[in-house]
Formats: sequence, structure tokens, C-alpha cells
Amino acid sequence: MPGFFREAARRVFAQELKDSNLTSRDESDQYAPQYVLTPTGAKVNRIFLVGTLIEKEDIGTDSEYWRGRVSDPTGSFLVYAGQYQPEAAQFLSECELPAFVAVVGKTSTYTTDDGNVLTSIRPESIQQVDELTRNLWVLDTAKQTLERIRAVEAEEDQNSKLAKEHYSTDTDSYRTMVKKALESLEERK
Amino acid sequence: MKQTAESIRDRFLKLGVDVPVEDVESRLDELINKFKVPSNEAQRSVTNYFLKKYSIPKNEFYVRQAEPQLTKIVDISENGQWANLKAKVVQLWENTHESISQVGLLGDETGIIKFTEWKNAELPRLEQGESYLLRSVVVGEYNGRFQVQLNKNSSVEKLDEPIAVGGGDFTPAARESELRNISDLAGGQWATVKGKVVQLWENSHESIEQAGLLGDHTGVIKFTNWASSELPDMEEGKSYLLKNVVVNEWGGKAQIQLNRSSSIEELDENIEVGSSTSTYFGAMVDIQTGSGLIKRCPECKRALVKGACAEHGKVKGEYDLRIKAVLDSGTSTQDALINRELTEELAGISLDTAIAMAADALDPGVVLDKLKHELVGRYYTVTGHKLDRYILVDSITQKTSLDREKLDEMLTLNETLNKPEVQ
Repeated sequence: MPGFFREAARRVFAQELKDSNLTSRDESDQYAPQYVLTPTGAKVNRIFLVGTLIEKEDIGTDSEYWRGRVSDPTGSFLVYAGQYQPEAAQFLSECELPAFVAVVGKTSTYTTDDGNVLTSIRPESIQQVDELTRNLWVLDTAKQTLERIRAVEAEEDQNSKLAKEHYSTDTDSYRTMVKKALESLEERK
Repeated sequence: MKQTAESIRDRFLKLGVDVPVEDVESRLDELINKFKVPSNEAQRSVTNYFLKKYSIPKNEFYVRQAEPQLTKIVDISENGQWANLKAKVVQLWENTHESISQVGLLGDETGIIKFTEWKNAELPRLEQGESYLLRSVVVGEYNGRFQVQLNKNSSVEKLDEPIAVGGGDFTPAARESELRNISDLAGGQWATVKGKVVQLWENSHESIEQAGLLGDHTGVIKFTNWASSELPDMEEGKSYLLKNVVVNEWGGKAQIQLNRSSSIEELDENIEVGSSTSTYFGAMVDIQTGSGLIKRCPECKRALVKGACAEHGKVKGEYDLRIKAVLDSGTSTQDALINRELTEELAGISLDTAIAMAADALDPGVVLDKLKHELVGRYYTVTGHKLDRYILVDSITQKTSLDREKLDEMLTLNETLNKPEVQ
């Protein structure tokens, strides 16, 4: 379909997003979205995650600028919300810790002086949710990650080939990550 | 500039008018150097000035000029180029704009091109199937394709000998389009469809005879029957064979249009309209503006924007609740429209409560916030009829339990896949 389409919100565990350092963008178009390609070949612009908000801090100098840390079974995501994300910023300023939160947002990357790529999330929305929703997300994300791991192993499409080439993805370690995440659900039986 | 001035003078000389070359030059100089007008614009403006001064009709002046050579359609390659064509009117289209008198396709042995004849060109009407010598048409570019335009300076002369059109006969009557399923229709083609009129809409424009929805076993599509098609009306609930309709896309969805080349045949059979219900599972990642407490036009039920209906202007709106949600599976997204009943149920607020909330806060936005707060981030399964990009939701259920079996299954699957590589 020509013209506008909505970016699907990818499901990626924190550990995998942290390992990501390949960004791409269509340079000819200043409005082109920026993507992060993860080691299992998820091409992420928008992301959906549910986890536990464990820290929050107003790091702004003039105006409020909130940083939140949201953890999942494999690590944590950093979420930044300032004046251009008023709803999310308000949520962060008001909510009590810890809390299960669902975050929809865009990934943004920052390259440090020594070449590390840090990926954070600019939220479009943050809502408080229940534990069940968090568990559903873990299951959902595990399923989609496994599917991507399989695609990388088979070098099935463009993204998985590119990921394999760039990261020399050790799929075993990501299988272990998924297993860990799934087992965290098991324990609650 | 001197040259330009002289060429203008020369052209006027041919008409028997001697314009002082200094005058031409000083005018050009003023426009180009003082007022930074591009040279060709300045040239035109100065020429027009003298035409007016000596009351020479523009047509006469431009027609008398050395005529451009005859151009073949395939050679048309430059935006803004003037051309003379010998061509046949292959097709006349529905005229969509009041400033256009005719629009359609011209063909010669080398190809086919779209033409537009402006109303103010005041040219005789072209007839489909006839061939003409078209003088001084202008080449334009639109959406990456060339087209020719007939304007005030163009002229048209009917030819006795027909022009052969390359690539065979393109008149639609000669080539009946293929019978297709509604779900297979895509933009930019002709088609023949069999379907039942599922819904007729209130007519919003005088140039439209009828508009509504047509369905077959594969799906439903919007149709428009233009008044100029001079086709009979269709009745809701009856089935028809529609020959040679145009399929085009608007806003990313296909729709069909009936025009002069189309035909309508009523069928005796009753076509089953496919229950095109779809089901989608995903997380609700957004609730869009236009959701929550809204006002609708009492006449056409459309949502009001700033208290006004697109069709009926300022009206006293009726309150309603609805949600335009975006569900997301991680690999795709789906827009869903949730009506008042389901919205009330999902969010646990009635329309009256919503109105009270909004009145209390002096802001209907609080209802939207409440909905986002209650729904966004959760997983839902929706089912309903699919229309354009939306699912019109009949039922929506929140996922309320973790599928333990699936969890176990995934763990084992992961194990088994892991093992051979570990060993």
C-alpha cells in the first residue's frame, strides 16, 4: 500500500534490545523512520513492552524530564519522557513504584564516545496494567523471539540474514534467554 | 535580451504591426533586471502587453506562429512542451471538475495519452472514436505521467481518415473486462463484477447517482454510480452483473465506479454475501483521536468536527461513545472501531456517566484518558466485519488467562531445538 502505514510495535526482550547496535534509516527522506535491527533480526521502530517500573527519576534541569527503568525477565529498558510526551511524563511523575506498566513507544539510539550504542525508548503511552498482562507479554515476546531465532538460523529473509551477518548471532544464547523468561512464568504455577 | 526583443518585434511584424524595439527592450529590462522575473515569463508578459495594446486577439497571434511539427504520442517527453497531434479519441472519461470540459484518452499509432480539455478553451466537443488534428496542446506531467492539455490557444480539426491506434483497440466496449471476485479487485483496472447491493448510502453529491456497498461471497466493496453514466438505479438487496466498471483506490482501499462505458444487468439469483468476519488478536497499542465522547450529526450520524458536520454544517449534535483502537500483533497492526455498547461494557462507564465526567471536567478529553487508562496495553481478541482498514467490532474479549499449555509446549520446543546444537 502506498503512502502512510503504521509501524507494527515489535516485541523484543530487554537483553536483546541492549545487545542491538545496528541502526538504519533512509537518508533520502528526512521523515523516514529510524530502525534498530536486533540480533535476531527484528527491525524495530515502534516497540511494545510490559514490565515492572522499578526506578524513576526527574533528570531534567529546566523542565521535567523523566527517566524510568522498566524491567523484564532478561534485563531492563530505559524510558525517557519530557515535555513532548506529556501524558507519559505525567504518568511517571505520579505513579508509585514498583508497578506493572505497558509501554508503547519508539526506540531511539545514542552512540557514546567510545562507540557503544545505547537504545532507549520514547514513550507514546504508558499505562499501569496487571500482572497477567505482563505475563501475557512475556509469553508473546518469547514466541515472537523464538520465531525470529528460527528465521535467523534458517537465514530466511533479508532482516535475519543482515542480523546474522552483522552480529554473528549466537542463537543458542538467545534461546537460553527465552528459556529463562519462560521459566520465570513457570515458577508461578 | 536584444535578441529576445528583436524576435518579439519580428513576430509582430508578421502581423503587420511595427513595435518599437527600444520599447520592447526597456520593458524586458525592467522585468528581468529590476523585478527579477525569469526571462521566458518576461518575454510572455511583454508579448501580451503589446497584443493588448494593439488589440490583437491572442489566439490569432499564437496560431499564426510557426507551427510546431506534428508530434507522435510516444515522443512526448518534456513537461511544458507544445505539440501538435493527430490522434483518435480512444476514450472519454467522467468529467470530475467544473473547469474541465472533457477528459479522456487520445491514441495514435505510437501510443496512448491522457488529455484534458479546459472549459475556458471553448473548443468543440470531441467525440469518442473520431480522429482529430489537435494544434498547440501543452504537455503536462501529473503523478509521473505525461498528459496533454487543450487550452485557449489550442485548436481542433476533425479528420476524415481515422487514425490507427497502436496496441489494438482500446475502446472498452470492444474489450469486455474479466469477471472478478470482489476481494481480488485492485486499483487501476477495469473489471466486471457480480454482486448484491448490500447498502445504499444517502446521496451526498449531485454528480453521483448512487453510492453504497456491493458484496459477493468474497467481500464487500464501495461503489459509486456517477449521474453522467446514465445507468438505471439499483435496489438494495438485489443482485446485479456490473460490466466494465473502473476499479480505483482511494485512501488505500479499492472501490468501483460505474461510468458511461459500464452496464448494469439485474440478476435473478440471490448472491450470498460472504460473511467477511475477521478475527484479530493483539495488544491495544493506541486509541486514536475521535474516540471517547463524541457528537454525531442527527441527520447523517457522522461524527462532528468542532461542532460541525461535513455535510450538514453546524448542527446540534447527539452524544455518542466509541473507540477507534489500534491493535498490534507485533508483526501487523489492525484498526478496530468499537461502538457505544461495547465501549460502555469494556470501560465500565455508561454514556451518561461519560457526559457527566466531561461536564465535570469541562473537557471531553477526560473520557478519552479514562479509556486509554483502562484499555491500552492489554491484549484483546476482536471479531467483526472488515470494512476498509477497520474491523467493525461485534465482540471484543480481553485475554484473561495465560495459556499454560502453550507455555509448556514452547519450553519443550525450545529444549528439543536446543539439544542437537548443544551436543
